[in-house]
Amino acid sequence: MLRDTTIGNPVVIDMKNVGIRYDMGPEILSDINLSLRKASFHFLTGKSGAGKTSLLSMMYLAQKPSRGVLNVFGKNVNFTNRDALALLRRRIGVVFQDFRLIDHLSAFDNVALPLRVCGMGEKEVKKRVKELLQWVELDKHMFDKASTLSGGEKQRIAIARAVINRPDILLADEPTGNVDNDIARKLMKLFIELNKLGTTVVIATHSEKLITDFAYPRLHLSDGNLRIYQPNEALRGGMRTI
Amino acid sequence: MIANEPLINRKQELPLKDDSSGIFLKVMISIAVFLFAVTLAGVLSINSMLNAWNQSILGSLTVQVMPVNHSDQKKAKEETLIHLQKTVDFLKTLPFVEKVHSLNDDQLAQMLEPWLGDGIDIKNLPTPRLIDVKVKSGEDIDFAKLAEQLAEVSPLASVDNHKLWLNKLIKFADGLKMLALSVLFLVVAITSGAIFYTTQANLNVHKYIIEILHIMGAKDTYVAQQYARQDAWIGFIGGCIGLAFAVPAIFMIASLADQIEGGIISDARLSFLAWVAILALPLFSAATAMGTAYYTVKRTLEKMM
Repeated sequence: MLRDTTIGNPVVIDMKNVGIRYDMGPEILSDINLSLRKASFHFLTGKSGAGKTSLLSMMYLAQKPSRGVLNVFGKNVNFTNRDALALLRRRIGVVFQDFRLIDHLSAFDNVALPLRVCGMGEKEVKKRVKELLQWVELDKHMFDKASTLSGGEKQRIAIARAVINRPDILLADEPTGNVDNDIARKLMKLFIELNKLGTTVVIATHSEKLITDFAYPRLHLSDGNLRIYQPNEALRGGMRTI
Repeated sequence: MIANEPLINRKQELPLKDDSSGIFLKVMISIAVFLFAVTLAGVLSINSMLNAWNQSILGSLTVQVMPVNHSDQKKAKEETLIHLQKTVDFLKTLPFVEKVHSLNDDQLAQMLEPWLGDGIDIKNLPTPRLIDVKVKSGEDIDFAKLAEQLAEVSPLASVDNHKLWLNKLIKFADGLKMLALSVLFLVVAITSGAIFYTTQANLNVHKYIIEILHIMGAKDTYVAQQYARQDAWIGFIGGCIGLAFAVPAIFMIASLADQIEGGIISDARLSFLAWVAILALPLFSAATAMGTAYYTVKRTLEKMM
C-alpha cells in the first residue's frame, strides 16, 4: 500500500457539506466533504456531466458553493472579499480542457499573464517565460498568436501558463488530452516535480492509462457525490481495479 | 519573488483599441467638448461682463427728487426741499448706506453747465435735486425694493434709472449664466452616461477575457485600469477634435458680438485664464472619461462576477 506522505501537512482546500446548483436548478454536487493537504496528488474522475468542472471551478474560486463551507488556504471563501480572493487565486494554477487562451495575444503574452497580473517586472517575466516555453518546446512559436497554434500547442501553452507562477495548487482538466504520449509523459513529469516541491495537484481525467501509470489517489464523482479511492482500491459499481 | 503591483498596468490584454465603440465615444466626446467649450466661453464672457457691470454700480448710487410743480416758485422750492429732506433722512436709515450727500445748488449748476451755460441761476429753475449715496462695500442692494420704498417716502424720489436698468440686466445675465452652467452640467452628465453604458456593454463583449484575467488572479482594478487608460486616450483625442472646432466658433461669435454697438457686449472679454481653461478641456474630457470608465468597470464587475 502506498504511504500517504502528506499527513501532517496543512489543509489547503477544505470542503464541508458543500453543494452547488445553478440558478434554481437541481444540485450538481451534494454534500461534498473533502480535505486536500499541501503536496497531495489526486486524480479526479467521473463521467461527463458528473460535476468535475463544477468541483474544479469551486477549487479555483471561480464560483462559491451554494451551501456548505469552502476554505481555501484557511480562508472561508464566503467571507473573503474580492481583492483577497484575487490574491488567493494567484496561488492556484489552472489548466482548462478548452485551454482558455487569449487568442489575440502571443504564446509569450499568454504564458506571461499570471506574472503580469501580479505586477512582476518585465525583465523577470521575459526570463521565466522564455525558460518555460523552451521546456514545453514552444520557444519557436513564442511570438505566434494563440489562435494560430494547434490543439496540442495550445494545451502546452495553457499548462505553461498554469505553472509559471509556481502555484501552491495546480488544477488541471484533461491536461494530456490533446498531446502525444511523449509530451503527455513529460507534462506528467512536470506535475510530479511540482508536487514534490510542495504543490497540491488535482488532475481531472478520463484516461485510465494515466491513472494506472501513476499511482495516486482518485477522487471519483458519481451522481453528484464524491468518493475517495486509494490507488489499489476498486471503484464501486464493477469498475476496474486501479 | 513577485514584485509589488504597479499602480498603472501598462500591458493591455483586453483588445479595447479595436473596439468600434471607441469611434462612437470619440465622436460623442468631440461633440460634447465642442458644446462645452462654446458654452464655457459664453459663461466666462458673461462673467467678465457681469464683473464690469457690477463694478460700475458698486460703491454708490444716485437718487433724484423731482421738483414740485407749483405756480408759486418759492412754495414749489420749499416743498421740493421737504421731499428732499425726507428722502435724505430715509436713505440715512438704510443699513447698506455709508454716507448720504445732497448736491447743493452750486454743484448742480456745475453739472448742468455743459447744457445750460455759465452763470445760470439754478435757484430759479425747476431742476431735479440729486442725492449722492455712498454704499458700504460688499453690500448687495435690491434696487427694485429700494425704488418701492423711496416711492412710499416721497412720490417724487426715484433711483437713478440707468442703474436700475443695469441691475435688471445683471439679473438677466446671471440667469443666463446659470442656464449655461446647467448646459455644462448636462453635457458632462450625458457624456458620462454614454461612457458608462458603452463601457458596460463592452465588458459583456470581453467577459471571456475578463474571466481568464480573474482566474489568473487579477483584481478588478487591473481590468479597470485598462479601460480607464483606453478611455482617457479616447477622451483626450475626442477633446482635441472638439476643441479644434470650438476655438474658431468662439472667435466667430466674439467677432459678431464686437459688431454690436453700445459697449455692453464689449465688456464680454475672455481673460487669459479663461483661455487656459478652454484649451485645457481635452485634459478635462480625458479625466472625465478615465474616471467614468474606471468607476463603471469596478461597479459592473462587482455585480457581474
